[in-house]
Amino acid sequence: MIDVNPQDYDIVLKIKDENDIAVSRQMVKSFAQKHNFSLADVTKITTTVSELARNIYRYAKEGYIYVRKKETGADKAVSIEILACDRGPGIENVELAVVGGYTTVERSLGLGLSGIRRLMDSFNIKSEVGKGTVVAVEKRRRGF
Amino acid sequence: MKDKIISRLDELVEELAKGDEQKKAWEDFLVDFAEVCGKADFKEELKAPISNLLQYISEKELSEGIGLLYAKIDNFPAVDIYKAFIEVLGEINRENQMRITELRDILAELATPIIRLWQDVLLVPIIGTLDSQRAQSMAEKLLESTAATRAKFVIVDVTGVPVIDTIVGGFLIEMFSAVKLLGSDVILTGIKPEIAHTLVKLGVDFNMVIIKRDLESALTYAVSISAENTGRKLLNHERGNADED
Amino acid sequence: MKTKVVPTIKLYDYLIAPIQIELDDATVEKLQMQLLNEINEKNIRGVVLDVSMVDVIDSYISFVLSETAGMAKAMGCHTVICGIQPQVALTLAQMGVKLKDIFTASSLEDAMDILNRLD
Repeated sequence: MIDVNPQDYDIVLKIKDENDIAVSRQMVKSFAQKHNFSLADVTKITTTVSELARNIYRYAKEGYIYVRKKETGADKAVSIEILACDRGPGIENVELAVVGGYTTVERSLGLGLSGIRRLMDSFNIKSEVGKGTVVAVEKRRRGF
Repeated sequence: MKDKIISRLDELVEELAKGDEQKKAWEDFLVDFAEVCGKADFKEELKAPISNLLQYISEKELSEGIGLLYAKIDNFPAVDIYKAFIEVLGEINRENQMRITELRDILAELATPIIRLWQDVLLVPIIGTLDSQRAQSMAEKLLESTAATRAKFVIVDVTGVPVIDTIVGGFLIEMFSAVKLLGSDVILTGIKPEIAHTLVKLGVDFNMVIIKRDLESALTYAVSISAENTGRKLLNHERGNADED
Repeated sequence: MKTKVVPTIKLYDYLIAPIQIELDDATVEKLQMQLLNEINEKNIRGVVLDVSMVDVIDSYISFVLSETAGMAKAMGCHTVICGIQPQVALTLAQMGVKLKDIFTASSLEDAMDILNRLD
């Protein structure tokens, strides 16, 4: 779907089995803590990664999550960028998938993607049926 | 260049300045300018005189002044001065931005006091407009206080909120749901007629909270429920003792 | 006894389950089975889930917890959750997650109060 250079990222996580969901959660949690995000934002970022990892495991079986710290603008505003990529089946109707309450599988609230969109400051998704899905999100560090 | 300016200093200042205060400012500037003229880091050296000058005259007056000097003096380095001028403006802008950020931090601290009104009852008067940043900080602060004090009721008073649109309504609903997840109840007060009007028109639904007309009835309600619970607890306790006898 | 993932305490007709482990997908499903079995075997009328040690509750974990509460309800048993961390509550609320069929309490005492009142 897109070319990613793993060397540009601070953390690269391979999601292949169910355990990887918990592992990715822990890794990203300590990463966000290290960069002084507020406790609430650490939880939001960790929860987001948990959702992204589960989506990969559940729908695509296999994929990668890339995480990095970014500094943008003249005032060097810190943010964490997360990229989740897979070569899974893709999402047929992306617009529907990011609306709360929609799910194609049993035993799900269908709040994964819509929830992430609300938790993060920016949210982008690109998906092609048969090719895979890329979700890019970002959370800025707040000054207070 | 230096001589050209110094020799005509009085004449130039007369043309440039409006009023005595400006005269002194322009004079200082021209002297400084003549001093640094031709130096290698001329542009950098000019920044301080320019920002001094800008304390007395407006950007427009400075711009006009540069034009005037360009017309009066041969080989006047107007381009370099403009470059320095733009950089100075950028610095001033950045300083202002920082000041705004600082003030916003202070505002966030000041604008959301959380008051323990009664045993088990917290009061949060919301004052001013809510944006995403402020709403998130406020929610974090409120949730922490609620968990720490184990308050049974959180009274949220919105008398000081000018508008509740769907976005602000959304922030409030999120915050109320979060408080309820902690096992506390939210009582909303201070909804003015015009806000009630827009809420209904926009379809913002606060059905998960208890709404009371004013702070007085909110507090009466909260205290009576708390008292009822404590009363029942005492009753259970006594009954327990009686059973033991 | 089938696999137990959390220790539980039986108090009167109530079951208190302090969850002191990180909830991942496999664990939360085992927890569901464990609770339902214990409700059945010990004649439980109310379950208290204490999640004060749980740092992350995402949409799937909330789903399984609500699902468990729904199943318990079908067996005549209420479910109360207490000790949700403030930042977890914020995250859940912002995602729009609702804990269906679960009562929320501010503390263990409050949870017991709620169960007493429900009977």
